[in-house]
Amino acid sequence: MNTPGNMPDRLIAEEPYYEPSGAEIEIFAAAYGNQLPILLKGPTGCGKTRFVHYMSWYLKRPLVTVACHDDLTAADLIGRYLVRGGETEWLDGPLTYAVRHGAICYLDEIVEARKDTSVVIHPLCDDRRILPVDKLGELLQVPKEFSLVVSYNPGYQSVLKDLKQSTRQRFVALEFAYPSAEMEQKIVVSESGVDADTAHKLIKFGGHTRNLKGSGLDEGASTRLLVNAAKLIASGIAPTLACDTAVGHALTDDAELLQAVHELASAVF
Amino acid sequence: MSEGDRQDPARRISSVLENSFAGTLALLPRVAEVLVELDALEPAQQRFVLYWTDVMAAAGEELAAQFLSHVPLALRDLDEAAAEAWVVKAMDVFDRRGPGFAIEVLNTVQVFATARAAQQSGCDFDQVAGLLRYLVCGLGGRGLQIVSEAIAYTDTEKIFLPPSLGLLEGRAANASLYKCLAAFLWAQNRYGTWRYQVLEAAMRTLDEVETWPIYQRLESVRLRACLARDLPGLHREMEAIAYGDEAARLAWQAFVKRVAVLEAPHATALDSLALVSSCRGQPLPPPLRFQGEMFPAKVREILSQRMSRERAALQKALNSLQRDLELQTPDDQASGAETPNRFTVGNANDKTPNTEHYELKYNDQQVPMGPELEALLNSILQDLGDIDEDYLNPHPMRDIYPAEQESKHGPGTEPEALPGVRVELYPEWDYTRQRFREDFCALTEQDVPFGNEDFVTRTREKYHGLSKSIQRVFEAILSEAQRQKKQPHGDELDLDALIEAHVDRLQGREMSDRLYTHFRKVGRSVAVMFMVDMSGSTKGWVNDAERESLVLLCEAVAMLGDQYAIYGFSGRTNKRCEIYRIKTFREPYDTEVKRRISGMAPKAYTRMGVAIRHLSKMLNTVQAKTKLLITLSDGKPEDYGSYRGRYGIEDTRHALLEARRSGIHPFCITIDKEAQSYLPHMYGPSSFTVVDEVQKLPYKVADIYRRLTT
Repeated sequence: MNTPGNMPDRLIAEEPYYEPSGAEIEIFAAAYGNQLPILLKGPTGCGKTRFVHYMSWYLKRPLVTVACHDDLTAADLIGRYLVRGGETEWLDGPLTYAVRHGAICYLDEIVEARKDTSVVIHPLCDDRRILPVDKLGELLQVPKEFSLVVSYNPGYQSVLKDLKQSTRQRFVALEFAYPSAEMEQKIVVSESGVDADTAHKLIKFGGHTRNLKGSGLDEGASTRLLVNAAKLIASGIAPTLACDTAVGHALTDDAELLQAVHELASAVF
Repeated sequence: MSEGDRQDPARRISSVLENSFAGTLALLPRVAEVLVELDALEPAQQRFVLYWTDVMAAAGEELAAQFLSHVPLALRDLDEAAAEAWVVKAMDVFDRRGPGFAIEVLNTVQVFATARAAQQSGCDFDQVAGLLRYLVCGLGGRGLQIVSEAIAYTDTEKIFLPPSLGLLEGRAANASLYKCLAAFLWAQNRYGTWRYQVLEAAMRTLDEVETWPIYQRLESVRLRACLARDLPGLHREMEAIAYGDEAARLAWQAFVKRVAVLEAPHATALDSLALVSSCRGQPLPPPLRFQGEMFPAKVREILSQRMSRERAALQKALNSLQRDLELQTPDDQASGAETPNRFTVGNANDKTPNTEHYELKYNDQQVPMGPELEALLNSILQDLGDIDEDYLNPHPMRDIYPAEQESKHGPGTEPEALPGVRVELYPEWDYTRQRFREDFCALTEQDVPFGNEDFVTRTREKYHGLSKSIQRVFEAILSEAQRQKKQPHGDELDLDALIEAHVDRLQGREMSDRLYTHFRKVGRSVAVMFMVDMSGSTKGWVNDAERESLVLLCEAVAMLGDQYAIYGFSGRTNKRCEIYRIKTFREPYDTEVKRRISGMAPKAYTRMGVAIRHLSKMLNTVQAKTKLLITLSDGKPEDYGSYRGRYGIEDTRHALLEARRSGIHPFCITIDKEAQSYLPHMYGPSSFTVVDEVQKLPYKVADIYRRLTT
């Protein structure tokens, strides 16, 4: 259970590193200004979470992040009573906390959550802007500073993990893809501290693994994996070894594919 | 020969032989010499000789004599294991083909030694093929198949590699040579050796005997420079094995110096071609080890086929893109006379040539490309280097769907349905009218004739290992127990529920009695309809693969407890649409079903829309939370008469949209390699899978099903 008691100040003090790839900052800011909830679509490790952190800093609002899982219920989001010394005590869930404090609430991988969570998300996301807290008998009017952001990876083929139309049609959707090669290089350099040449080679290697998507690999190397490999290289690990450990083994267990990823890394370096 | 003779190394072998094998020795031409050689052998080797002379003599004195005369040489060139392999081979040949051929084997001990050395250190195609496929796919560019053939070359769609390589010392080195060959042939494709203009010019000006080899060497210089820039690690590996000897290395060094201009980043194959005449008459360096051969005529044939195919595909894609774009922009802007509506393609990154990122612009506005269009554009650019204005003209509609002209004959001319069967009428979507044709399709349900149940047994034997592993995976899904909270009975107290109840009590409210957690298997509520293509085009392999997949699937799905039904579809014209019952939802997987699966046979055409409408209607009568309509197919919707090209695709798409609206998830598994061009439009981007080889279908289908429903 997410316990928001004694939450530290959730304002993000330092500017997180983020390279915009289009008008997403303006769109997010405009949606926020109009109190529209936001849906972020995109493959894993392409910068969705980083973007939300950045926007939280940009808009100077605290950020509450909930990683959704298949046991996450509406009560986990809203809050529950606890017993302390024979007395009952109410504890706000992360969503209620965010509403009360006018924070940005980020539900990561929303499709993983139980279906009953939509009961609380729906009234929050349309023009009612309310959060019913049944247990307290309260009906929280949502302040204009509050914003709901959810993320979702449309690449999964499972029909059980699809976002319902009634849910998705309440959001402004921003689509994320892997950044362009030049930008990705810039990101790898500033995140890890490797030199531009190494970063360039890493990006090329990343592109090669992405070519294998659908022909062996389920996903190519994400920007996050490339940054991880770059960090290892910056700490003195040999480049091909870094690619094997940070990228190859993270992508697959198949021996032949691992060998191929290894060959692709050693071809580039 | 007695046991004592063999056990005693101190005794001279010549005397043993003279005592025990006098008859054999009599057949030997140079007895004295051979005996001296044999006496000089190590004791262990002498024991080896005695043992096998004994065995051989039992087969024939002549054979034993030949063995004795060659065995000293054999033991010099081969270790004992190899020598034994040589003898065993001779005996084998003797058994199968008689003494003449066996003696031949014994006589050619040196041939055997070389072949064995090559085999020991060589590398087979099959050992590296899988890895090379991934490697070439990862390197990017147009998808290239890796195929085994006697000579290494590429025809721009396939890379051909020899069935085995033993040129270098050791397996690893030969595997590396395979890799270098594949990479070099990939580089020919990637860096424009086979561009259309280059190939045409080269075939005009070069002759096979003198100037092609020069051009080949020049291209090698250029390609190696490209590889050194883009894939330095691979380049280093290639350099390490490039030359047969030091002289070759020096010859190449001198040659590269002469044509250093080809190493510049902007050099193209045309530059190589221009240098050919200046290199005439001068000594050429020997071929590089990974150079392969060039067959321009084969390339030209493949290239011209592909170019016309891809040109049509591109124009078709741009055409539909243009329609979408014009729908988005208001009319007055789109038809403005000042801006002619046209597509342009530009390199997104001019600073670094040879990158694969291009931008597609429409009226100078960048437009997003789907992965299929991008791959198509890349393939065309790989052939042409640049894209012709003509290519980017979206084609007028009628040329893209030539079959549509047939529709003018009207639907009334098509033959009638068979009488006497219950006929159901379904509408069909006519995109030209943007209306349904009401009650247009007449559909009948029929039983599949029983086939031989043997097929099921054979399939189960054939895929024994696979069905075991499928079973394990599916069992794992089932055993994923889930902890259910707030249950009236259960294994443990639910602390959250207990606290809640306590709070309720303190606040004077009614306590809940649901205070336990309970482990229970996940209750699945899935109903699946398998819709199997039984059109004429599935004849042969495809039909077999479909039936085999069904056998494996039925067992797996039944284990999960999911409700499922199987129907085949085919037909000829809208008046005779046919659905074949193989298994209904209510039937268990029994002998009759098995016999019907075996009896599935290719019929006529593929009118998909009506089949989807009929089967979704049936699927919607079943109670389940998740409903899936899985199509196994081998190609586009197509029927006799008007149901072709765009008409068929649009009707099918519409039928799928109707199904989706009623809560069904459609999914398509196809073996049609062209499917990328129309399936995303019909099924949506992530609702289909292309299985690239028919034979793999049974392996894939169960896996896809698992992925879909968990």
